[in-house]
Amino acid sequence: MVNFTIQEVRALMDKACNVRNMSVIAHVDHGKSTLTDSLLSKAGIISAAKAGDARATDTRADEQERGITIKSTAISLYGNLTDDDDIKDIDQKTDGRDFLINLIDSPGHVDFSSEVTAALRVTDGALVVVDTIEGVCVQTETVLRQALGERIKPVVIINKVDRALLELQVSKEDLYQSFSRTIESVNVVISTYFDKSLGDVQVYPYKGTVAFGSGLHGWAFTIRQFAQRYAKKFGVDRKKMMERLWGDNYFNPHTKKWTNKGTHEGKELERAFNQFILDPIFRIFAAVMNFKKDEVNTLLEKLSIKLSPDDKEKEGKQLLKVVMRTFLPAADALMEMMILHLPSPVTAQKYRAETLYEGPPDDEACIGIRDCDPKAPLMLYVSKMVPTSDKGRFYAFGRVFAGTVRSGLKVRIQGPNYTPGKKEDLFIKAIQRTVLMMGGKVDPIDDVPAGNILGLVGIDQFLLKSGTLTTSETAHNLKVMKFSVSPVVQRSVEVKNAQDLPKLVEGLKRLSKSDPCVLTFINESGEHVVAGAGELHLEICLKDLEEDHAGVPLRISDPVVAYRETVTAKSSITALSKSPNKHNRLYMIAEPLGEEVSNEIEAGKITPRDDFKARARVLADDHGWDVTDARKIWCFGPDTNGANLLVDQTKAVQYLSEIKDSCISGFQWATGSGPIAEEPMRSCRFNIMDVTLHADSIHRGTGQLMPTTRRVLYASALLAEPGLLEPIFLVEIQVPENAMGGVYGVLTRRRGHVFGEEQRPGTPLFTIKAYLPVMESFGFNADLRSHTGGQAFPQSVFDHWEILPGGSPIDATTKNGVIVQELRKRKGIKVEVPDVSNVNPLHVPLCNHILTFVLSTTTSYKRIVSFLIDFFKLRCTSVATRHVTSGSQISRPFHAMITNHGPVASLV
Amino acid sequence: MASLYSAPVLSTPETHIFEDPTTLIAPSLSPRYTDAEIYTIYEVERTAQEITTSGWRTVALQFPDSMLRDATRVFEALENTLAELRANKLNHDGAFASSPSVKQLDSQHKLCILGDTSYGACCVDEIAAEHADAEVVVHYGRSCLSPTARLPVIYVFTSRPLDLDNVIQSFESTYKERGKEEKIVLVADIVYNSHISEVSAKLKELGWSNLLAPEVIHDPASLLPNRKIEVTTEELKDYSVFHISDPPPALLLTLNSRVKDLQTYATSFPAAQQTNSAMTLRRRYALLTSLSTNPIFGILINTLSVRNYLETVTTVKEMIEKAGKKSYTFVVGKVNAAKIANFSEIGGWVVIGCWESSLIESTEFYRPIVTPFELQLTLQGDSERIWGGEWRGYFGHLDALVIKAPVSEEETIDVEVNGDKIVPLEADEDSEEESAPPEYDLRTGRYVSHSRPLRTAAQSMPTAGAKSTEDSTQTLVRRAKMDLATVNGVVSPGAEYLKTQRTWTGLGSDFQDVETSQDIEEGRSGIARGYTVRDNERT
Ligand SMILES: Nc1nc2c(ncn2[C@@H]2O[C@H](COP(=O)(O)OP(=O)(O)O)[C@@H](O)[C@H]2O)c(=O)[nH]1
Ligand SMILES: [Mg+2]
Repeated sequence: MVNFTIQEVRALMDKACNVRNMSVIAHVDHGKSTLTDSLLSKAGIISAAKAGDARATDTRADEQERGITIKSTAISLYGNLTDDDDIKDIDQKTDGRDFLINLIDSPGHVDFSSEVTAALRVTDGALVVVDTIEGVCVQTETVLRQALGERIKPVVIINKVDRALLELQVSKEDLYQSFSRTIESVNVVISTYFDKSLGDVQVYPYKGTVAFGSGLHGWAFTIRQFAQRYAKKFGVDRKKMMERLWGDNYFNPHTKKWTNKGTHEGKELERAFNQFILDPIFRIFAAVMNFKKDEVNTLLEKLSIKLSPDDKEKEGKQLLKVVMRTFLPAADALMEMMILHLPSPVTAQKYRAETLYEGPPDDEACIGIRDCDPKAPLMLYVSKMVPTSDKGRFYAFGRVFAGTVRSGLKVRIQGPNYTPGKKEDLFIKAIQRTVLMMGGKVDPIDDVPAGNILGLVGIDQFLLKSGTLTTSETAHNLKVMKFSVSPVVQRSVEVKNAQDLPKLVEGLKRLSKSDPCVLTFINESGEHVVAGAGELHLEICLKDLEEDHAGVPLRISDPVVAYRETVTAKSSITALSKSPNKHNRLYMIAEPLGEEVSNEIEAGKITPRDDFKARARVLADDHGWDVTDARKIWCFGPDTNGANLLVDQTKAVQYLSEIKDSCISGFQWATGSGPIAEEPMRSCRFNIMDVTLHADSIHRGTGQLMPTTRRVLYASALLAEPGLLEPIFLVEIQVPENAMGGVYGVLTRRRGHVFGEEQRPGTPLFTIKAYLPVMESFGFNADLRSHTGGQAFPQSVFDHWEILPGGSPIDATTKNGVIVQELRKRKGIKVEVPDVSNVNPLHVPLCNHILTFVLSTTTSYKRIVSFLIDFFKLRCTSVATRHVTSGSQISRPFHAMITNHGPVASLV
Repeated sequence: MASLYSAPVLSTPETHIFEDPTTLIAPSLSPRYTDAEIYTIYEVERTAQEITTSGWRTVALQFPDSMLRDATRVFEALENTLAELRANKLNHDGAFASSPSVKQLDSQHKLCILGDTSYGACCVDEIAAEHADAEVVVHYGRSCLSPTARLPVIYVFTSRPLDLDNVIQSFESTYKERGKEEKIVLVADIVYNSHISEVSAKLKELGWSNLLAPEVIHDPASLLPNRKIEVTTEELKDYSVFHISDPPPALLLTLNSRVKDLQTYATSFPAAQQTNSAMTLRRRYALLTSLSTNPIFGILINTLSVRNYLETVTTVKEMIEKAGKKSYTFVVGKVNAAKIANFSEIGGWVVIGCWESSLIESTEFYRPIVTPFELQLTLQGDSERIWGGEWRGYFGHLDALVIKAPVSEEETIDVEVNGDKIVPLEADEDSEEESAPPEYDLRTGRYVSHSRPLRTAAQSMPTAGAKSTEDSTQTLVRRAKMDLATVNGVVSPGAEYLKTQRTWTGLGSDFQDVETSQDIEEGRSGIARGYTVRDNERT
């Protein structure tokens, strides 16, 4: 530990080019927290007054109990490079030898990945931890993808190398192969998400961007460190040495020459990596674990490792730890890797500015961010809220991207819905306090310049979860974070005692604040709902709610899933609705929006805020839209940003702009609660085909058009083979071969669909990838455990929406029909789905039989009739008659005739 | 299908086939009544008696839509009976039967039918009656029995026949398991109320000892609305209610928390879908909480005759204003979705009407409509609101409850370091006001800003009174960057909506980027004999 005063820390902050903000990301249990701990104990900065009581990043009691990280936690480290060579190797601007490293340990369980997203936003680099044995897992891939999306540069540590040596007893070459396979898999992911502005960020051991080690034992190394040792011995340049210590490079002891051939005169040569790096390590392990004291001592002398007399007395694993930790201290390797290869805020913000900022690239805010300028107007992003010891109050945790923030500064707080020039979601408030947050503790600090991470006191009431703080009146928002997980699993809660309701409500507010992803709301049937990413996430949230935030006894319902309503085809005919006064008509066609476009909208790549011309270009070029249509998107919905579009396809309609507001309101209303079960709609495109309006504006007011828009949208959706979408998890299960049968059994029973099965090379472990409906996932983990003797480890993350199989939801006799009825019953609405004739009664093409009265025998009537048959796929009965009378009078005599006719159309 | 880019001409016939959002009363399919039935069902005799005894001359007859078809016959019957009564009276009084004055007397009773009731059929339409200068209203059919303000009313409940044996059988089978000691209140819908005494007498004979059959009174605020019941609130909780005919939803909700349970004897077949009152109440809860962050309320006046409605409007207005929100008052006649949707600036509605018709349960409405009682809970704030199932339709007792507006929490957090509290720094001395924090919208789980426009306005316009001494024409007070739309110096969230939310703000607003027309050139001038063209040339 390093004892620093706040003033000293503050001084480090000023040199933004010597700051590194980074997150530690990995699959669950790959050793992030352990690794962070080992760094903390070596180089952690703690305020001088608190020195002594070490603490881990897992600060919550349940985190320590369950052994998993739930909340991400920041710590600060102090780095000092003494070697001039090291300073020279930093390929970005530096200022002096002191470095401040802000490191955020994030949770690895998928259910908490929103915490990872929040951590990534405020950092520029990522330390990706990969387990030697398990290799790259789902979550490794997910977080890496997220990191690259935020333009975060990765470095890798292959962790738990000790296990490979102690438990698996692998040979040197096997270990090398395993390393290189793992690195390859990481690079495959990285190259998939290649981003031009970030450049090539693949990791290479010979460039020093990969470390190997054991967090638990506190040791790690990079090839660069070994190269440094050997460069002198061999008299070669260090850079060259680095390259030789990885890959197919061999030192031929007979010729004393380097070669890239693996054999010499028929005899196998040892790979340089194995010979120069693994060999000493293997020898230490062998000597220590076999209790060969003498050999140990020789080795220690050879490697010039000096132990304290106390440590020398140790034996076995204890001795091993001490020896390795002294030989290759983890902190040294990691600090070197981070300082040398991860970007400073100054470097990173140059290429991140455009992805971070919503506004134009040339305004003062964006330029301030780009230059990481502490004198520019303040631009600060609050990425999450951290509870204080004072119940119900929170620290806003975030990063200064431009300007300097200080206690007492009056700032504009811009919530996620703020748009420049409008007042919505905009607040003005003085910051009460700026604080440094390290581990579980906070220290007040006067001000914090651009490029640093901090906590703020006194603005928590203004932001629910995240937002932008600025002093510039023209600044747009910093981009709202998009999470890779969605709150698709819901449970409703109610108080056991009615008097406790206010406490529950307050608790729900706090819960919503304390987690970046959880949603709390009241649904239309009056239940208080908590929605989370998965069962575990919900469990933790509800526990927090009951014990902490609300503090009252609760009744918790079984989990349910949220559905979406959609259409699967184009409306079979144009739907038409007339306004209540019959003077206005809307013609609408619904069609599927397409999964790609929907995903892009949900990922925030196509947004209502885009310039409409640019957006039209994207839609036309990438998604095959007609450019003119694409330019006439009226709005997104629900909530003005959902994945449903209202497209104006009318031609030359008078007064159209006058009714646009009404149509948009009706659209938001309809897409927010669809016709089938009042669930939100998704992935529908509604085309306004034509509009006829009354010439007098008094007859085409909102009252006439808004409800009509809603009805015509419903009608067109019901005519377009409506379907229900259910959320689907991607599950990845790691399981030994002998237990695979159990996994398949459980998956099949739960409508799972296996699409990948892979053996991890060199292990008996298989990775099974499957899609599993969220609805079927409740109790999945327990089920799996019991059917595999606890040998299978699943990770589930929301992946996509899929049409619920089982027939049409509007047909009460199908399986889906029953589900819909249940849903409607639960919501307390009329059980029957309104059928089209209900929304849009007596729509001619909805009858399947037309009676045509032929009054004359002109030839054109045949054309009309055949048109009707072709076009509407109707049965058609024509009756020649002399008089057509109205209504029921005619229908009776001909009724028998029609029913007798059967399906054949007959033309008279 | 690909060629279908405009609506096919044939897709809808011209005729009026579209559902009107207002539900029409289905024309009754039952056969017409005989003349004798008209006399008994519409209680012609009794009505005529009452009219003559009180000496009323002009009488308005109010029918619900479903009974309008009988209106003319009732009218005739009543007229005849009144004439007879007058004749009898004359005969009785003396031998002037054939004197010419009979003709005069004859014309002294003026009857009229009120065709189109302005609000619910259950309420007496006093205003329409006053237009006809009526001295009394005869109200036919179901009634909410709300106290009236202006005119005396004769209620004719148009009693319907009831199969008593069936009722008793159903009653016995319902409560068989609970034993004859069970405490039960027997209630019938107004149109069946005439049978109550008979049913209760028969049941008492059968040994149901703890049976109450309360009388009808005109008091919707009563513990059992419109019924006289002599037990306390606590005691009533032990009683079950046996209700003949489907109770109106408002009654269901009201009774939900007041009695042990409620059983219905269905009189219509097929029986109306049993609404689950607990579920309905939950939906009401969702509705009323969804309005807690709504800045603009519409007060919808749905009655002009219930006593005290004006006071209630005032109370409701005050409540809304106290919460820092804006209200606008509307009178639209019969409420329907289309009318209400015209006012898109209104975020939620509160209906002031009779206790039965204030409960508007429909998904057709764009914005929630709540009752004054529910509004009270809405405005109460999240830290006070308790929802235990109690519900009231009648708007009396409103003033009794004081709305406590939530105080914005402006306390500060103390940062603790080394065991010492650090006092937060004073904010910069800056002229600009700090904003009020947003509110958490329970319904959506998001923060909503500007949910109390009047409060923020009051904060940022503290000098409005002082300013008035200055130039009074300067009504638009500008504040740095945060100017709100005002009308005559009063903050107007409605105008603000027009300014910020609507894209179409009137003629011309949609033609902004149409290219300007050609320059104006000077043409010819002068008289026909010789025009002047530009250079003073004559032609
Ligand atoms: N053998 C071995 N075990 C380790 C190592 N690093 C972590 N572990 C163990 O792996 C488990 C998970 O570690 P943790 O740091 O909580 O993982 P996280 O979920 O990524 O934060 C713990 O039981 C650690 O003791 C290592 O280098 N070697
Ligand atoms: Mg951890």
